[in-house]
Amino acid sequence: MFELLSEMWGFAFMRRAFVVTTVLSASVAPVGAFLVLRRLSLAGEAMAHAITPGIVIGFVTAGLSVMSLLVGGLIAGVGVAMLTALLARRTILRSDASLASLYLIALAVGIFILSAAGSAVPLKSFLFGSILGIDDASMLLVGGVATVTLVAFAFLLRPLIVSTCDPVFFETQTRRPWLVDQGFMLLLVLNLLAAFKTLGTLMAVGLMILPATAARYWASTITAQLVLGFVFALSSCWIGLTLSYLFPETPSGPAIVLVAGGIFLVSAIFGPLGFGKRARKPVVSNDIPVAQIQQEEKAQ
Amino acid sequence: MTAVLQIRDVTLGYRELTLFRRLTMDIEAGTTLAVLGANGSGKSTFVKMLLGLIDPLSGSLNWPKGRPREIGYLAQMTEFDRRFPIRVRDLAAMGAWRGFGFRSGLDNAARDRMTAALDEAGVLDIADRPIHMLSGGQLQRALFARVIMQDAPLILLDEPFAAVDQSTEAHLLSIIHRWRDEGRSVVLVVHDLSSVLDHCSHALLLGGQEAKHGPVDDVLTPDRLVAQGYLSESQASWMFRSSPKPQEPAHV
Repeated sequence: MFELLSEMWGFAFMRRAFVVTTVLSASVAPVGAFLVLRRLSLAGEAMAHAITPGIVIGFVTAGLSVMSLLVGGLIAGVGVAMLTALLARRTILRSDASLASLYLIALAVGIFILSAAGSAVPLKSFLFGSILGIDDASMLLVGGVATVTLVAFAFLLRPLIVSTCDPVFFETQTRRPWLVDQGFMLLLVLNLLAAFKTLGTLMAVGLMILPATAARYWASTITAQLVLGFVFALSSCWIGLTLSYLFPETPSGPAIVLVAGGIFLVSAIFGPLGFGKRARKPVVSNDIPVAQIQQEEKAQ
Repeated sequence: MTAVLQIRDVTLGYRELTLFRRLTMDIEAGTTLAVLGANGSGKSTFVKMLLGLIDPLSGSLNWPKGRPREIGYLAQMTEFDRRFPIRVRDLAAMGAWRGFGFRSGLDNAARDRMTAALDEAGVLDIADRPIHMLSGGQLQRALFARVIMQDAPLILLDEPFAAVDQSTEAHLLSIIHRWRDEGRSVVLVVHDLSSVLDHCSHALLLGGQEAKHGPVDDVLTPDRLVAQGYLSESQASWMFRSSPKPQEPAHV
């Protein structure tokens, strides 16, 4: 067993996979946390589909390079995000319905072009990535996106907290509230693209959402949510990669997401904010004067 | 008295809907203004105009001492996310975040201010509780602590007592008194003719595309309340059956 593990480190592609997923975890964890908190969990999935036509067009016109992927995906993702905001602001549709309509169109366009171009790109690798065949350019992409994401979060964290928790109050605190929304969507698109080559779009969303929802069952503060989300994402990647090495038949991307799923289920059952309510203080449903609560707490 | 804000000849509304026409009034330092009106008469829109989120259709807002950097604001709780993972202490600190930008730490002076604000709002003992464990009244107290932290010369409260019990209302009213005594202006949207009006010096009645401003007694007369669609005639005659005036304002 230990020989197998130490042997694993002898392979360059495994070392690369560990490095890339570690950096990726640090990058997608905060994005996932705010996707969940902003009730955009499903928007992550939709956006993953929405960037498909951009990637396909980039591929068809410029070949499968990191640059074509980045440029094509960014244009498609930002375009869909801005159109969604426009529809939600100017028409009767809410943003979830606007996004759903647009990503479906985008996805159809992507697959249409892919088929019409008659290319030999396996659709499977679009959706599920290939974590064990990562080249230098992909590593640079992941590293670059992680750097941008973490620096952006240093600036965006407080505005994001206020706009998520109390959007009306946030509007009174800034002249440009949309800047935070759009900035966050841009980070989402960037991270989806970074994860695209390694995990594929579907699995990338899994690595964003599952650690964040699992952390939600334990965390009562935003700091705990962010740290735990990262720890869970990292554990999922390391355990998932090891499993897929030990059992060569298992694909690495789904293995990582399945481990994250396992952490989620355990958290839901045992976390203080999940089913395990015993650890939670009773929620005060009726208004009890504060003095009375204090007396009760002293009495305990 | 000095005016914090001069509203001059303001018509407010949306493209297809005028809420009221040609309102001229001052909001003076150390006064408490109650804003009343039927649903859809423009109470919340008026507050949003003061916040600068909506421009009037015509007329102007003049700030004689300059627009304050911070305007205290407590919204209705409809869009507030009560499941957000944040403690009471950090929710209150939000009121001072703008002064500290992106840095994480508040300085010692701000920390002392925060302890005092939490204490005054009656939530110091539950400062480390996450907000999803709070009752409606406790959450409203925590949000009052945030308004205290904003330390603003003009404070706008949109139906602050809609979901709180009587003892909390009394407690929060004492904070409003303190603000008024310090020379801050408080604008209070109230949803009914309640005892809250006892604590207001002025009233602004919206409705029927009109806006009537003045001392509480002058504005809230049965005739005017009926004329602006706030009460029906039978409601007015029932409410004002004992005395011709609704309330004796405590401070004019």
